[in-house]
Amino acid sequence: MSRRVLILAERSETGITDASYELLEFASRLAGGPEGVSAVLPVGDASEAEGLREVLPAGELLLVEGPALAAPTADGTAAAVLHAREASGAECVLLPHDPTGWDVAPLVAARLGTAAATAVSALSWRGDGLVARRSAFLGKFVQEVEAPGLPAVATVERGAFPAREPGPALSVRILPSPVGPGDLRSRLVEVREAGAGGVDLTAADVVVAAGRGLGGPENLDIVRELAAALGGVVGASRAVTDAGWLPHELQIGSSGATVSPKLYVACAISGAIQHLVGMRGSRFVVAINKDPDAPIFGAADVGIVGDALEVIPLVTKAVRDSG
Amino acid sequence: MNAVALVKQVPDRNSAFRPAGDWIDESSLGYGINDYDRYAVEAALALKEAGHAAETVAVTAGPADAGQVLRSCLAMGVDRGVHLITDRAHLADPFFVARALADAVSGLDAGVVLAGLLAEDSGHGQVGGLVAGLLGFSFASAATGLHFREGRLEVHRELEGGRIAVVELRLPAVVAVQTGINTPRYASLRGIMASRRKPVERVELSPPAGGGGLRRLTLSRPERGASAEILPGSPEEAAAALVPRMRAGAGITFPGDAA
Ligand SMILES: Cc1cc2nc3c(=O)[nH]c(=O)nc-3n(C[C@H](O)[C@H](O)[C@H](O)COP(=O)(O)OP(=O)(O)OC[C@H]3O[C@@H](n4cnc5c(N)ncnc54)[C@H](O)[C@@H]3O)c2cc1C
Repeated sequence: MSRRVLILAERSETGITDASYELLEFASRLAGGPEGVSAVLPVGDASEAEGLREVLPAGELLLVEGPALAAPTADGTAAAVLHAREASGAECVLLPHDPTGWDVAPLVAARLGTAAATAVSALSWRGDGLVARRSAFLGKFVQEVEAPGLPAVATVERGAFPAREPGPALSVRILPSPVGPGDLRSRLVEVREAGAGGVDLTAADVVVAAGRGLGGPENLDIVRELAAALGGVVGASRAVTDAGWLPHELQIGSSGATVSPKLYVACAISGAIQHLVGMRGSRFVVAINKDPDAPIFGAADVGIVGDALEVIPLVTKAVRDSG
Repeated sequence: MNAVALVKQVPDRNSAFRPAGDWIDESSLGYGINDYDRYAVEAALALKEAGHAAETVAVTAGPADAGQVLRSCLAMGVDRGVHLITDRAHLADPFFVARALADAVSGLDAGVVLAGLLAEDSGHGQVGGLVAGLLGFSFASAATGLHFREGRLEVHRELEGGRIAVVELRLPAVVAVQTGINTPRYASLRGIMASRRKPVERVELSPPAGGGGLRRLTLSRPERGASAEILPGSPEEAAAALVPRMRAGAGITFPGDAA
């Protein structure tokens, strides 16, 4: 049976985003071929998208056009997606699992009278619905959920599928925007670029990262001592910097620094996906955690299951004694 | 206008979780407030203190013992609570939860509704947005800053790569907050005492009536392709075994190594 799947394509400076190419591949597999994939691109003016039809390999490209859509907003993008959903008759709407998807997916789902399957890594049809494989408990477990009715909405994790190669769209349709500027409840004022961080974690050969499981700032000295013994610097998970135990510049992960040291020691860090993307490039990863199920062990080369407060000083001592 | 915080009771982060059936074994778990929601509550309190809300209200959907999280909100300083009583199993569908919350919120004269970006257990990350969609409120997710400007709400949203989007929302609005947006206060002894006299309205929800958004099927430990070598033995033995592996794996020397 052929199915129609709609994805939200997003523009980048050079074309469309890598996340859009991943969605195109994901959608193509779900639809049983690229012909079944519709891509919606909200634009202020269709002429802006001139070159994009050559690099957007969907069955149809739907340009939803109007001044309200010149800058992205949660409600503007949601309106464009819903409009394109109706025009295409898509049975499934796919959005990226990123800040755009978090804004737009629930607004689209609410209008369709359903919830979105989020943080999804695989989808399959089942009867008149979809089964989604997703991450739960901050990455500790995988969950299968069923969206029992169609159309369904899902946000797809980055990296779930390889990116599709650029190629031409088979057809293009221009749809006038269903919303005018006065209809929108939100407005994008500006996007601020990242400020330059103070501490350069990225240059260090050894990073010893502190997690919330250390219990409090009073226990961080053992991490500092291990870092000193290894000739490295101290980094942290977001839970630690948000709690003010260490400054924000030391945060590693999707909303912090990306590091790729020769040695990464994760101390009482659970290993949520947002942390892992910041340290995956490390050559050798050590994890110390009392929970044998902690996802960090899936990203580590060597692990010690135990109380970090007990284990870390023993590792420091063993390093010093071995010199 | 009032500031409303949506809060969820979740299993204690430090519990040992075991998958059982379509969810986890809940027989011996402690529960507390979802971490993200503490930031939502603090944001609501700050709005009232800055004169942008008359009253603060915390709303939760959950079983009888979820009243506990409302009590902790009241102890932090929230004025009153609304408890939508339902089986824990019914929390599986974010659409069911959002519809119940939206019904409650529509009677609260809400100017700003604060939600956590996601719940630490199910992680659906959309209840705030669904409530906004159902009520036709404005919405912004992943908020790391919140300011009032001339009757509108200016929200800083965290994008990837450290970029920040500044968006302006008309009221009423729902904002899903990221951790770190503020520093949640702890309940003072006085706050705890005062909370006992604060009102909590209890509403029994009817069970979900078919349809709905999502159904749980399975929960399992992920298959990990290449997982860590776990070092056996006592902590001393494991620590000693770790050092040569770190040296070889990382290919580096340490400061104390003999030259
Ligand atoms: C949009 C977004 C962006 C994010 N960006 C980032 C980011 O850039 N970086 C980041 O790190 N996170 C980020 N997060 C948060 C992330 O999801 C996790 O919440 C966070 O990484 C958890 O930090 P943690 O591992 O220190 O704490 P927890 O998840 O609380 O883990 C603590 C760990 O310590 C263990 N433990 C407890 N006590 C002990 C003990 N005595 N001995 C040994 N182990 C112990 C526990 O078993 C647990 O595994 C982001 C989240 C979102 C939604």
